[in-house]
Amino acid sequence: MELFFQQLINGLSLGALYALIAVGYTVVYGIVQLINFAHGEIFMIGAFGAFATWTIMGRPTGSPVATSLLFILPVMLIGGVVASVAVAVAMERFAYRPLRNAPRLAPLISAIGVSVFLQELVRLFFGRIPGMPDAKSDLAFPSISGISGASVQMGGVLIRASAIFTIGALVLCTVFLWIFVDRTKTGRAMVATSQDADTARLMGINVDRVIVSAFAVGAVLAAVAGVAQGLTVGNIGFRMGFLAGLKAFTAAVLGGIGNIYGAVVGGLVLGVAEALASNYLGTTAWKDVWAFILLILVLVFRPQGLLGAKVVDRA
Amino acid sequence: MRVVIPDEFKIRFRYPARALGLLGAVLMIVSIFLPWAYGHDALDDMTFWGAPSPLQLFFVVLPVLLGLLLAIPLVGKQRLGALARMVAWNTTAKTAALASLVVVVIATASIAIELGGLVNVDPGAWVALLGGLVAAGSTPFLPDSPEPTLDRLKSPAWVQILGIVAVMAAALFLAAQALSYNDAGSFITFAALLVGLVLVLRQFGVFDWLRVAGRSNNRVLVLSAFVVAFLFPFTQDGKDANMSIAAQVLIFASAALGLNIVVGLAGLLDLGYIAFLGAGAFTAAVLSESAYSHVNWHPPFIVTVIIAGTVSSVLGLIIGAPTLRVSGDYLAIVTLGFGEIFRLTMINLDGNDGPYVTNGSNGISNIPDLNFFGFDFGKAHTILGVDIGRFANYYWLMLLVIGLVILVFTNLNHSRIGRGWVAIREDELAAEAMGVNTFALKLLAFAGGAFLAGVAGAVKAHHDVSVTPDQYVFLESAFLLAAVVLGGMGTVMGVLIGATILKLLPEKLRFFSDYRLLLFGLLLVVMMRFRPEGMIAEERRQLEFHAEDEELAEEVQEELALYHDHLHPERGSFEL
Repeated sequence: MELFFQQLINGLSLGALYALIAVGYTVVYGIVQLINFAHGEIFMIGAFGAFATWTIMGRPTGSPVATSLLFILPVMLIGGVVASVAVAVAMERFAYRPLRNAPRLAPLISAIGVSVFLQELVRLFFGRIPGMPDAKSDLAFPSISGISGASVQMGGVLIRASAIFTIGALVLCTVFLWIFVDRTKTGRAMVATSQDADTARLMGINVDRVIVSAFAVGAVLAAVAGVAQGLTVGNIGFRMGFLAGLKAFTAAVLGGIGNIYGAVVGGLVLGVAEALASNYLGTTAWKDVWAFILLILVLVFRPQGLLGAKVVDRA
Repeated sequence: MRVVIPDEFKIRFRYPARALGLLGAVLMIVSIFLPWAYGHDALDDMTFWGAPSPLQLFFVVLPVLLGLLLAIPLVGKQRLGALARMVAWNTTAKTAALASLVVVVIATASIAIELGGLVNVDPGAWVALLGGLVAAGSTPFLPDSPEPTLDRLKSPAWVQILGIVAVMAAALFLAAQALSYNDAGSFITFAALLVGLVLVLRQFGVFDWLRVAGRSNNRVLVLSAFVVAFLFPFTQDGKDANMSIAAQVLIFASAALGLNIVVGLAGLLDLGYIAFLGAGAFTAAVLSESAYSHVNWHPPFIVTVIIAGTVSSVLGLIIGAPTLRVSGDYLAIVTLGFGEIFRLTMINLDGNDGPYVTNGSNGISNIPDLNFFGFDFGKAHTILGVDIGRFANYYWLMLLVIGLVILVFTNLNHSRIGRGWVAIREDELAAEAMGVNTFALKLLAFAGGAFLAGVAGAVKAHHDVSVTPDQYVFLESAFLLAAVVLGGMGTVMGVLIGATILKLLPEKLRFFSDYRLLLFGLLLVVMMRFRPEGMIAEERRQLEFHAEDEELAEEVQEELALYHDHLHPERGSFEL
């Protein structure tokens, strides 16, 4: 039983990470019906942005816990968010906006191009920024006192501080997202646009701006996820976005693509399912296989996802 | 961006423009008799007085064409007769002048880079550069030619056949020549020259003529293309370097053609296509006599090929049957997930995490060469006094496979099934309403494409000697997709060219190998932005991507009318 709860905690922490990334897929898909294939790279760039910020700050290590948590980590998060949002907005502007009325294949292929391009950009040029280490192999993510390596023992279950950070970040982000979508003008404009872009335009909503803000919101959460991943795993690399992005997309579909809260639920379910499956079904080597099989099963039996957002077939 | 020269200027300056253009052409022609470079190591040694190097001789074709294009109209419209309206003299001359300039600039830059500085550029190159600048600067002031008449596309059958054969022979010669350049400078210069030549000839009408000729002499075209491809190893004189690239290109191209059925014809975006190639390769590897395979049944290769194709297409059915009902973007991601499942499964079937089949991430190596009735593919053979090495053997085998793929592709494309696919691609709901069995046809596209990939994979396993899971990563699927997109979705020629470019350029331009993927990503984005229909566009596809372009619609219609009138003069004029 202890093992079960341990895997549950591991799964929830993993799932929170997926959920944070999945929101980006779902928000963008809800508004422009585009699978932003390069969203995994936005997540990766968030992690690198945080890393770069930390380097610019002079690589503070071993600072007191309070300084770490109240100053260093927030600044790193801001750095990551700025990098992610900048790249996401530029990507929307140059790769997707010109293709908005093109056949559906075009933006998807463009997205693959953007994904490869961003990975290579980081691999080749991150090290050329003055003061930054070469990113051709994995970089050790800074350890933050109070999170890296720390853990809490509850009964027989070990809860790592990074897991608490990830889950906490997801809770906070979900609350903020709820406030943003439900209470702000931009948020409601987003909902309106996702329901009917043409009518929204007639009501005076600047659809272009709404689309940009959808990309930006997704990027903010992806950057937070990037930092969480760095803290959990301990290193970051230019390839980290591919698999995480794919899993997060699975989570978004699982929850019902287009539904923001569905993405959160889908992420958590996927994370837990993966953690449990790797424990009870074969060895851990098969865990990614189970995740994708789950994706296929969901698409076959419940294509609208768990929370059942209305999916319009736009083949 | 584009500088438009007012028509009155063009009228006023047409004589000086022509004179200066001719001067530029003459300067460039003279320049090849002068040394271009100070040292011997740049390009193909352009240091001699009065003795042009091969590259200089190839180059001179462009200025000579330019000179002819500018000089012949001087004879006068009356004396030229019908010829006057059959060629777009001035417009073609503008292209020729620009192409010459670009080639000279590239050549000069290569000399400067390879020898370390502009000091090493000798007077010949400067003269050529001056000529190029004069020509490219003056020809834009020539008045634009009227649209050439369509008469130029008509010719007797024997001329057409001779023309096709001549073009094919030229293609073989130029391809062999291009491959013979091993340093990046010469290769880029020659490639630029070829591109320029192709553009000039296209404007001249050569390719339109070839298309018309090809349509009425389809068999001659196909046959001569295959004969030329078959003869290619004889031009390499036993050298393996280029044959290895050529064999890889063919393997890659045959997989890309299979993907073209799925993406280009049926419009289903498959991002895990490489898994089908991998399934074929692993099947062939497991059934081979490699020591790493624990299967003790080694059927003859022809059986292996069929099994490999079948395994792939069964996988295609397994992945396609549930997911093809959910249409659209989901399919892309499901196939991507499937590609990952395949790769991970191959890694896990190592005896630890699963049953022993594939030897895990080390894969199956030491796969023996093929042996057909005593013809050992691993050994070099001497045919007509020319050494034919191991890679040439596989090249020929792949030529056979690719011939099969093209046969399947074109026959399907022009059949009821192909039309059904196109209908699904353009509007699935409408197609269904018209009675097209969309599900069955999509499944057929999926399984058929997978079968072809499986066959190609089986040959690839023997060609590569070893099969490992990391050869079948997502990036490879993306490369295949890029070949299809770059060349032109739904076309055979386009995909062949796309595959050749994507495989050949990285081999020849090793200095940019680190930036290969970066440029590749950028290429996909730029292609989608500016020319989503690919380099060689299928007419219908082009219209799909440019739905609002009325002019293009008319152009396509006119072209259809032209072919119709040419092929079936008895049926009267073509009307839509």
